[in-house]
Amino acid sequence: MKNGKKVLGVVTVAGLLAASLSACGSSNENDGNSAASPEPSASASASAPASSPAASESSGEKVTITFQNIYPDSSDPKYQMLHKIVSDYEAAHPNVKIELDSLNTDQQKLKLKTQAASKEVPDITIVNPKAQMQPFVDADLFAPLNDMVKQNGLADTFQTGILDPYTFNGNLYALPDGNNIGVLYYNKSLFQQAGIANPPTTFEELVADVKILKEKGITPLAIGEKDSWTGSFLFMNILLRTYGPGFLQDVTDGKTTFEDPAFLEAVKAFEDLVKAGAFQDGATSFDYNAGENLFKTGKSAMYYMGSWATGGIETAEVSKDGNVGVFKFPTVGGKGDPDEYMLAPGSAFAVSKNSKHLNETLDFLNYFMLNYPKELFGLKGAVGLAQKVEGDFKAAGYSDMAVTVLDLFKTVKGGDLSFDNTMNPATSQVHLSSIQNLFVTPDTDPAAVAKEHQQAYEDNK
Amino acid sequence: MKVLKVSNWTIAAFVLPCLIIYIGLVFVPIGVSVYTSFLDWNGIVPIGMAKHVGFDNYHRMFTGDSVFWPSVRRTFLLAGFSMLIQLPLALLVAILIGRYTRKANFLVSSYFLPVILSVVVIGQLWKTIYNPASQGGMINQILDKIGLHSWTHNWLTDPKVAIYAIILVGLWQYLGYHLLIQFTGIQNIPADIYEAAKIDGADGFKADRYITLPMIVPIFKISFVLSFIGSLQSFDLIMVMTGGGPAHATDVVAMHMYNMSFLSQKYGYGSAVGTFLVAMCLLVTVLINFVFNRLEKRYS
Repeated sequence: MKNGKKVLGVVTVAGLLAASLSACGSSNENDGNSAASPEPSASASASAPASSPAASESSGEKVTITFQNIYPDSSDPKYQMLHKIVSDYEAAHPNVKIELDSLNTDQQKLKLKTQAASKEVPDITIVNPKAQMQPFVDADLFAPLNDMVKQNGLADTFQTGILDPYTFNGNLYALPDGNNIGVLYYNKSLFQQAGIANPPTTFEELVADVKILKEKGITPLAIGEKDSWTGSFLFMNILLRTYGPGFLQDVTDGKTTFEDPAFLEAVKAFEDLVKAGAFQDGATSFDYNAGENLFKTGKSAMYYMGSWATGGIETAEVSKDGNVGVFKFPTVGGKGDPDEYMLAPGSAFAVSKNSKHLNETLDFLNYFMLNYPKELFGLKGAVGLAQKVEGDFKAAGYSDMAVTVLDLFKTVKGGDLSFDNTMNPATSQVHLSSIQNLFVTPDTDPAAVAKEHQQAYEDNK
Repeated sequence: MKVLKVSNWTIAAFVLPCLIIYIGLVFVPIGVSVYTSFLDWNGIVPIGMAKHVGFDNYHRMFTGDSVFWPSVRRTFLLAGFSMLIQLPLALLVAILIGRYTRKANFLVSSYFLPVILSVVVIGQLWKTIYNPASQGGMINQILDKIGLHSWTHNWLTDPKVAIYAIILVGLWQYLGYHLLIQFTGIQNIPADIYEAAKIDGADGFKADRYITLPMIVPIFKISFVLSFIGSLQSFDLIMVMTGGGPAHATDVVAMHMYNMSFLSQKYGYGSAVGTFLVAMCLLVTVLINFVFNRLEKRYS
């Protein structure tokens, strides 16, 4: 009796903990448990194509399309564009309801991976080009868009070649929201306040300017390093200068390793930047939006980001009276060509193959992408799009800053994609946290950083 | 032995629905994760395409993962702080409230308030409190104002202190929870025992030592297990406040499992970490039960 009670107690408590364990798994994305049941979803994927024609026949029936997106910031033109197009479409199609799931970039990436594990991909979701998309394509989660882009001439609105990073084995799986380059934005009045006449043209000047700004009590560079890709993007631009384009490709091809002198030099340069006090206090606890807001509210002198940030910065308070300027990432140690940029073929819209309303979803996305450049142009957010934009930017009231960015695009002579777009996820994660570590311990031996990278690359080949 | 006048079949029929749901939602997923922990799987391709790798994931976890053991250490650090500070403090406050206040319920409810707040809200709140002074962080501003500038810190981004900053929030949040449990336990001790003790000359803390403490052992055990298991599984607060950063400095086992499964897309490896977590929880629960059963025997 006594013994039986004890066993019962243990089982009860064990059950309790197990229940809370599984609750923990599911609380975040509310589908953690379903990861455990791959069989039903496999059959769902098989039956999906059969069910989609039926959905299109009864077009009068109520249809809800989930649209996962990365435009949560209501001050951003893209947010306004999204809501405008969605409400226009809903007005024209009363039977269709578009449900928006707006998340930060990093949260969205996480959520999609969790959803993919349980084969519950939203009707429309966001993916990133090349290596980041590959596992999803391999798992056959997305519907090919080859036929859809031919409708209403959508394919012709895209710039030549921009769809390539989203095309696998001749099938196009996603439509990019932009085509961007990494640039440095700067706050002219804060530069003046610190007595700096011109934006830096070499990395050494940049570090010197950082020290001057810091002395005046101005945060030199804003960054949202809790979303660790931001620091990596900046670091990779330094590497692009010290090595030239194609470093990661050369590593993959076995032509060099992470222990290459150029990589060590880039780590060293990055550490110098951190040690000079370039970033705001507690940078690693700022997410992307919080970091960008420092610059947008005039609290930091510079901001390194892809040109997609132009729209948000242009419409912010800080841009009044042409206060914000743009410059190319400088040379590092006299090396590199400033006309080579970090290239960022944008995040892209993909459609779930298992969507219950595949035809409606494709129809909506077609409408969305056709109107995307027009709406953004009107909202002054049309810098760095993947589609051709008709209209005179200057005449439409775009600032000099935006026009400068557009001019920078014309100088592009090539460059590199971001680390996580080129390398597999496991290696990328090691890289991201290794760079994040430099923000808090900038005295790390560059050789150790290189070794960590090399090790991760070899472990996850 | 037979208390109810119904057949075992009837009992089985009533228990069955619950049991099926329970097994389906708890034991089957655990079984599946144990299975996937032997796979090299990215969590996205169909599971049938994954390669079986035997104990490779476990081998790498125990010997070749520079994040794993520190995260285990941090997990036990969390549990340790909870055991050594939170529970005794909760017990002390429960005793004091029981003795010195008339309308104890109001106080207990106030202490309980943080428990019902969403972890995300609490995380954001404390993030703001911990911020650097230049970003409006309360603690640093106060330290500055009273002339203790040298004490100011980047609480959440200094790898040496970040985990303690998070532990403090956890302690604060769940103090009320354990307070409530233990307060209820104390209220259930019959008052006549204390009266009898008073006549014999045992009053105040002496009565606590010889009456309250022994009689609260079973309740304390519940608190103990809940708090220990809760610490082992801590995840949400860390996710909101630091995301495990800077550079894994605040990673715990559950966090590592999540990062591996979904960020690095090594689902099989993540499952191995998860299996380790389940095993650890079971082991600790059995251990705690054993220790407390001995204690209970001694005092009853």
